[in-house]
Amino acid sequence: MKALTRTDLEAVQIPRRRPITGARAIAEAVKIADVDVIAAYPIRPYTGVMNALAEMIANGEFTAEIIVADSEHSQFEIVKHASAAGARTFVGSSGVGLIYAAEAIVVTAMDQLPVVAIAGCRALDDPGNFGMEWNDTLFFRDSGWLISWAKDPQEALDMTLVAYRVAEDRRVMLPHFIAVDGATITHIAAPVDTPSKKDVAEFLPPYRPHYTLDPAQGPVTKAQHIAPSLIGPEQRKHVDVAMKRSREVIAEAWRDYANYVGRTYDPFIETFRMDDAEIALVTMGAYTINALHAVNEVRRDGIKAGVVRLRYFRPLPAWDLKKVLSGVEGIGVLDFSYSFGSPDSAGVLFNEVRAATYDDPKPALDFLFLGGREPKPADFVKALKILHDYVRTGDTPGGKRVFWLTLRGEDI
Amino acid sequence: MSSERRQFKSVKEIPPEDYYTSGRRTCAGCGPALAYRLVLKAAGVNTVVLGPTGCMYVANAHQFLTSPYAVPWFHTQLGGGGAAGAGTAAAFRALMKKGKRRLEDVNVVVFGGDGGFADIGFAGLSMGMSYDYPRLLYVLYDNESYANTGIQASSTTPWGATTTFTPSGKVRRIGNERMKKNVALIMATHPGVRYVATATLWPPLDLMNKVDKALGSGGPSFIHVLVPCPKGWFTPPDLTVELSRLAVETGLWVLWEYENGRFRLTYKPSPRKHVKNYMQLQGRFAHLSASEIDMIEEVTGREWEIWAEMDRTGKLIVPWVPPLKSVEG
Repeated sequence: MKALTRTDLEAVQIPRRRPITGARAIAEAVKIADVDVIAAYPIRPYTGVMNALAEMIANGEFTAEIIVADSEHSQFEIVKHASAAGARTFVGSSGVGLIYAAEAIVVTAMDQLPVVAIAGCRALDDPGNFGMEWNDTLFFRDSGWLISWAKDPQEALDMTLVAYRVAEDRRVMLPHFIAVDGATITHIAAPVDTPSKKDVAEFLPPYRPHYTLDPAQGPVTKAQHIAPSLIGPEQRKHVDVAMKRSREVIAEAWRDYANYVGRTYDPFIETFRMDDAEIALVTMGAYTINALHAVNEVRRDGIKAGVVRLRYFRPLPAWDLKKVLSGVEGIGVLDFSYSFGSPDSAGVLFNEVRAATYDDPKPALDFLFLGGREPKPADFVKALKILHDYVRTGDTPGGKRVFWLTLRGEDI
Repeated sequence: MSSERRQFKSVKEIPPEDYYTSGRRTCAGCGPALAYRLVLKAAGVNTVVLGPTGCMYVANAHQFLTSPYAVPWFHTQLGGGGAAGAGTAAAFRALMKKGKRRLEDVNVVVFGGDGGFADIGFAGLSMGMSYDYPRLLYVLYDNESYANTGIQASSTTPWGATTTFTPSGKVRRIGNERMKKNVALIMATHPGVRYVATATLWPPLDLMNKVDKALGSGGPSFIHVLVPCPKGWFTPPDLTVELSRLAVETGLWVLWEYENGRFRLTYKPSPRKHVKNYMQLQGRFAHLSASEIDMIEEVTGREWEIWAEMDRTGKLIVPWVPPLKSVEG
């Protein structure tokens, strides 16, 4: 074998990967997207995104109006109106802060304004809890926002760029949440390849809305008060059609993104060792990586397990989910959400997965990681073993279908 | 669009163009509708209008999908007025700075009711007033109650008024027992604020000229406009402008402006009429006794000593109102 020369080495394209936190990675994406208006209000764990952006703007890395708002409600109203006036906007929050903005968040979708927001997933109060939970973001399950879930800082960056492309597509025109698991993505540094503005210029052209709230465009009356008998249901249907159309736009956008940036993702669902899997763990977000390690571990004991990760929660890729789960004998949902008093007294994700697989039902268990407590690798292995035994024997410890895995006291 | 000032010297100079036109279903004699019309005449065509929820949301652009707005208009949530104005102004500044929109003066006028600006959206309004967006004007159209939902007290409802949340009853006879919040004075205490004023429908040129000054002030501005409401005040529709005039002439509504750090009364009632001339026309004060009205007259007189002092020195005096004497129930 010929030794490599210096010229050979220079010919090798070494990607510019440097370790940055998820928060910083998202801020890089916002900078590349040349966002015009940003509204900030602090709450852990998403705050780092705004800290990074404020620093970039202060240092002249890019130009944007950054408004330090008086509350999350104002934060989301600021970007809603800036978007209506024709600006590309960015905002975000976490936990109860996100809920405080709920009124502004729901109208943004109903007005079909393509605001992009970070949801830095955090447990809801009371008590004040910095741990990770999905219930803040899933509060907006039915609000008409697109919701995607990133796995790591690199994907958070890529998802942010793709989110603008999808949200601003004229077939969609819906706001977009990028959910990032609090602390596990926002605060963890990982090697991230940051594309240049030039790389994505064609992929993400400047925002050109149909009708802006600008005197130069003439008078537009937007979101007027109406009698429900006139356009109430039709307006809801518009949002529904936009959400349905987003499926093709999302698939197209990720395909295009791969062409421009060179990183390929399956748009809606990521699978791991599912080819011969007999049982599958369905999950979203950062803990997918822990689930992969657990699968590798139990496979050494001969348990044929795989992992299915949803990259989008809205629209929920029910079609893909059904397909990848058609061959398995049992499903375990790794759930950082909960719906008190719901069917099975289970998590929101569990209920969604059950609904998506209704026509081809599978034995399913829900594994809950609630209250923000950090799960350990052993918890994921335990989930797989319980699921495996359930598929083999038809029974579970205590006959339960829902397991509060990180609970210290008795599960009553 | 130039940013030159065009103060209106006489009614003949009022432009014939209306940017708040037909296609609305406001009440007969609606004070807010008149204020909208005058403010938008003064602001002109290069204006974006934003409206937090309130009676003027529900009364405008409703049945048959008509709209009275001949300039761009967008609703914002009840507590979102301050943010809406800042967000819109931020968008224009960013787009112009980055060459994505042609350079031009665009007015952003946010009309908030007393509910929207004195109560739920108070923090957002304060935030908006703390930024330096030029040609951003917040107008508080104050009809002294939540008039859209059936006349409930707000924090600008005057002492003594009966509302459906503060009714005059057998035991609690007075009705609203809170003093009216002076939002304009609070806005004037914000650092860096360029222009704050009060106005009402009379005299109309005073309102229009204050709008013109506010938009040309180069920074965030605020105008608190008292607007009589026949529905909430229990008054005949043809008295709306007359009530505005009486509010000024009795000294209950003080016309002033605070421009670049200097306070000035823009109208001094002389002699000041007794407040009963204003109050006795309104059903909402009908339960008050003559001595209670006299007490309001007395408090108004003491307040006027402070207003006169502010006018003389050009400085704000806070608090501006002496404590109210307790009243026998």
